[in-house]
Amino acid sequence: MRITRIEIRNFRSIRHVTVDLGDATVFVGPNNAGKTAILDALRIALTRRWGQRGTGFDEYDVHLADDTADPRTSDGVSIELRSDEPEPGDWPDTVTEDLGDIIQIDLFSGRRWVALKAQWSWNEDADAFEPTWEFLDAKRDPLVGRSARRVNLDRFWRYLPVFYLDALRDVRDEFSSRSSKFWGRLLRALEIPADVEAEAMRVLDELDKRLLKADPRLDAMANTLLGATRIAARDREGGLALRMAPLKTRDLLGRAEIILRNEPDSPWLPLRRQGQGIQSLSVIFLFQVFVEHLLAELYEEGSQPLLALEEPETHLHPQAVRTLWHHIHRLPGQKIVTTHSPYFVQHVPFRDLRLVRLTPDGTEVRSLPASFSTSIPHLDGLDKVVAKSGDLMTYEAVSETLTVHGALDETTYRALLSLCGAHPNRTELEGKLRDLRDSSSLYITDDDLRALETQGQRMRGEIFFAERWLLVEGQADYLIVHATANALGYDLDQHGVAVIDAQNNGNPGTFAALARALDIPWLAVFDGDKGGKDMIKNIRNREFDDNAIRDRCRTHSAGDLEAQLAADGPEAELQDMLASMGVPNAQTLQGDGLAAKLRDSKTAYASELAARIRDGRATAQCMPAAFRETIEKLAGLQ
Amino acid sequence: MRADPLASTMRELSAIQQRAVEWHDGPLLVLAGPGSGKTRVLTCRIARILDQSPAERFRVLALTFTTKAAHEMTTRVAALTPGLEERADIHTFHGFCAGVLRQHGVHLGIKPDFAIYSNARDRRSVLQDALARGTPHPSREDQRLLPRIDYLKARLVGVDQAEEWYASRKGTPAQEAARIARAYRLYEDELRRSNALDYNSLILEAHKLMAFPAMARHYRTMYRHWLFDEFQDTNGSQYKLLRRMAGSDFRHIFAVADDDQTIYEWNGASIRRIGDLVRDFGCEVVQLPTNYRCPPPIVEAGNRLVVYNAQRHARRRPAEAVPRPSSEGERHIQCRVFETDHDEATGIATEIAGLDPTERAGTLVLARTRTLLESMQEALKEQRVPATILARRDDFVSPQMRWLVACLRQLSRPLDRRNMAVLVDAFQRFAQVSLDLDDLLVRSAAEGVTPLAAWIRMVQSAGRQTLVEELVDKVSKIASGESRMETALGEILELFGNDEADENLKDDLSAWRRLSAEIRGDIGAVELGRFLQELDLRSKEPHPAPGAVSLATIHGAKGLESDRVHVIGLVEEILPSWHAVNAEHGGPLEEERRSCFVAVTRTKRRLVLSWARRYAGWPKGPSRFLTEMGLGGDDFPPVAVADNSLPRFHR
Repeated sequence: MRITRIEIRNFRSIRHVTVDLGDATVFVGPNNAGKTAILDALRIALTRRWGQRGTGFDEYDVHLADDTADPRTSDGVSIELRSDEPEPGDWPDTVTEDLGDIIQIDLFSGRRWVALKAQWSWNEDADAFEPTWEFLDAKRDPLVGRSARRVNLDRFWRYLPVFYLDALRDVRDEFSSRSSKFWGRLLRALEIPADVEAEAMRVLDELDKRLLKADPRLDAMANTLLGATRIAARDREGGLALRMAPLKTRDLLGRAEIILRNEPDSPWLPLRRQGQGIQSLSVIFLFQVFVEHLLAELYEEGSQPLLALEEPETHLHPQAVRTLWHHIHRLPGQKIVTTHSPYFVQHVPFRDLRLVRLTPDGTEVRSLPASFSTSIPHLDGLDKVVAKSGDLMTYEAVSETLTVHGALDETTYRALLSLCGAHPNRTELEGKLRDLRDSSSLYITDDDLRALETQGQRMRGEIFFAERWLLVEGQADYLIVHATANALGYDLDQHGVAVIDAQNNGNPGTFAALARALDIPWLAVFDGDKGGKDMIKNIRNREFDDNAIRDRCRTHSAGDLEAQLAADGPEAELQDMLASMGVPNAQTLQGDGLAAKLRDSKTAYASELAARIRDGRATAQCMPAAFRETIEKLAGLQ
Repeated sequence: MRADPLASTMRELSAIQQRAVEWHDGPLLVLAGPGSGKTRVLTCRIARILDQSPAERFRVLALTFTTKAAHEMTTRVAALTPGLEERADIHTFHGFCAGVLRQHGVHLGIKPDFAIYSNARDRRSVLQDALARGTPHPSREDQRLLPRIDYLKARLVGVDQAEEWYASRKGTPAQEAARIARAYRLYEDELRRSNALDYNSLILEAHKLMAFPAMARHYRTMYRHWLFDEFQDTNGSQYKLLRRMAGSDFRHIFAVADDDQTIYEWNGASIRRIGDLVRDFGCEVVQLPTNYRCPPPIVEAGNRLVVYNAQRHARRRPAEAVPRPSSEGERHIQCRVFETDHDEATGIATEIAGLDPTERAGTLVLARTRTLLESMQEALKEQRVPATILARRDDFVSPQMRWLVACLRQLSRPLDRRNMAVLVDAFQRFAQVSLDLDDLLVRSAAEGVTPLAAWIRMVQSAGRQTLVEELVDKVSKIASGESRMETALGEILELFGNDEADENLKDDLSAWRRLSAEIRGDIGAVELGRFLQELDLRSKEPHPAPGAVSLATIHGAKGLESDRVHVIGLVEEILPSWHAVNAEHGGPLEEERRSCFVAVTRTKRRLVLSWARRYAGWPKGPSRFLTEMGLGGDDFPPVAVADNSLPRFHR
């Protein structure tokens, strides 16, 4: 089993979020945005700590509207988890035998699922916060009777063991035979055949004898110590001996540790003497060893570990971080990861990413879903419209859920609207359909995403950590915009603005659509020539209307960037720069000629110009107005 | 060493009983006569399956016909395999279906906390409301359609198929069929609106769910073994449900049945069902012929009786008695003849009154009809012998308890108007506080409070007597959450308890105590809605008073046994019934014969058969079953009554 969806209300910074979870899901977002809250919500709802005295919650966990709000009058924390069977028949029979009382069945597909709702709210009678839980049916009504027995909760947990590796994982704890949830258990579970054990004992005894003989002082020490047993005398004489080698093979195993060397000739060193990166990484791999060797024994057939992993990149070199995704992806079970590393994100498929950020309404999570749903009743004629849509739409009658697997086109949308005509709640339904159309318009096709995977990989890491995007054409724009902004006192890096040079990373329309889907504020500046206009057209084709284009996109009035630079001057600064780059007769260049020369050595001039803007040799105020005004606008952009 | 209750119980079983208990997975029918230890075989088999698979998770499903039997079986399994009984689900058919619908009813628009309407009064009012809602001028005839609706539901005919169903059968004109179908639809809609189901819905709706392969597969996987008690009583819809659940491959079926005890044909049971099971599932058959309950002469009489039936399992072996050394010379069967039914009642009552109190306690008097039992109860009362008629009660009989349950229901379903009407009516009956229901509902809407809260306010303002005030105060404290439910209920019951003279209330209080203990034992402390569902499924009859004589109709005598049994009214046209004597074919007569068989085989030591020459003034002859049992001839002259010690029976 695995968790397919989590819905959280009123928990820490979260007022209400719903997140779909896949085999591996990666949360990115700034510090304090609520990533850890999501991981904690999962962990608390799935572990025994919760639901008894001393729950996983405390009073600071209740999301409050403002500073003066009283947690007791709030609705309390609610965490709803859903686990869906991927394909009918995937869950082994033992799951049905064990969880039969809480399983729900989709009658038509035969797929099974379980939904758990955990709550923690103020109880007037008990004068305390109290945890409650219930399993739900397709209408989200609590199941009663047998299904409400506590044993169901315990069993459900056994199928979803959670392992939490936080950002501060410590190799000394994790590889200790006593305190580690992985290493200690692994060592204890080892089975040594009796003959090997006997042989080991014989060798140990032999070793012990020889060590004792190695220095005569040892014998004398033992004799003196023997006095202790004489004082505490009993009827029969005891004994005392010095033991150099371990007494039992168990003791020997308890000392097992990992040693490494980096080069064939370097000395072997224990893991705890290695660098932080290796240590942090080994803990992750230790989890894999544990799952592979012990999970089946400790849990159930059909149990799937859920690994909540914070910042796997900790202390690692970028090259290592880049390959880390592939390792984590291959780890057994379901993975929920938070990261601050663009290098890590580079290889994560788009649909597995979740962008977390804090808004005035609390934590929000954005993603690029493959489908969009709304709840509407089983209207007359709905089945026909759904059938006519081909694979675009599906309808689930029990939960009354209409799902669009893509963008809802206008014709189908109109057809749906026409079904509401006679319904008493017509206005409400039409509103829901409008919302569905609007949200599904954010759909990004698999083709778009594939194109981005290949062309935009360099950008991918960083753009998901940015708070705003600025689309420009090429490398030159990139350099000059950065420098100009810096000179104008609005450093783009510092303010989390990602400048995306669309030419080298796919096409601007895809980025604009992506920004819209992920709710990332964005602006664009392009050349005023045909190329720039094509870029705007490219964006417009993504269903952006004229207002949006006017609002967000600027072009240089004089033509391309170089024409604009030549037009805005001051000529002297540009001539001086070209001269310093070894362009002959640079001092005489003007107008079109100047622009043409700039075009000749595009990247070179741009980096030189950028450097000059930064150190004041070129005047930022003379940079193209489209750049300057857009930078100002970025500062106030929400 | 740990005591092993299962092993020691297994050792006490006969070889053939053990064989049944240890049967492999294949389908098996156990033909088990009265007193053959079938319940023991069933419970041992469940316990053994669990015991042999301690590490496994699958469960065992056992279905019985009464909640009492289910409760007893649960208790016995728990005693045999402590710690494993959690994997045994033992229910009635209806209880099982209620569970299925609680968990999966959402697919049919049923919410998990539905109410179960078990009594006719509730259901009539549902139909009445439904008709009022759906038709401008509901006719009186429409309001009498409930039996027709029940008839359709009992045959698993859904609302949508009703007209078609009539069309495919002659006898009901299309217009009439349409009228019934419309009322049926309105009735079902009204049930849904009220978030309620009736008894027939439980089977019907579960049967609908099992049409989906994924659902049936779910239950086959969860329950690896299915066991059935009293399989001969399974009716057509229950059997169809079972077939659907089993699909084409499921064969782990173990049924215990006695075709000689099929006495519920009027309820859809059929002597053919056992044959269907054997054929449809390819059951092998094991017979448990030994009767451990009855003394040899009674076993023989029973054997002589049932061979007159043509519709029996072809190779049914006669029952074998267990010889009893101590009973040499004891007269196990006696006959009495009286002049009139009144004489019979008085005579038997006098005889019972004269018994040693230990023998008298637990004496069982059986009759074919309830009327005979009521005369018997009167006669016993005159003799100052406490007597209880054992019969299923769908509802409490005292207004006090009906009011209390209505209050609980209102707490669980605050907007249930129909139940509010019951509450107001019941309260008026014992507290003489009359309120207008419509008035109350208007007030509740106007003040924005629940109908129960509005009722409390209105009664409090009208309250005069201390008892009424106290009762309402307790209820309002439960409603406001001020008092814990269980404490307050206890206090209310105590307030009721002051009235010793009220027989109905005494009965109800006794039933309430038994039921709440049973429910807690079977399913633990549960939320109120679930408790009420369980209460609806169970009979509200009281515990028989200690030392009381039990009276029961033969149909209510299933599962009973007693040292001393009286069967009264053994005349033609009563047992066998007039209907059976005059039937065109032999079926009904055979069912009557089986009734007689059930009656006499309740006996552990002494059986007294009696009849009179006139009933309600009509002359009657002795039942043919007396002769068939070999008790009518010279060997068994009805001379016992001529015993000189009882001369006045001769008139």
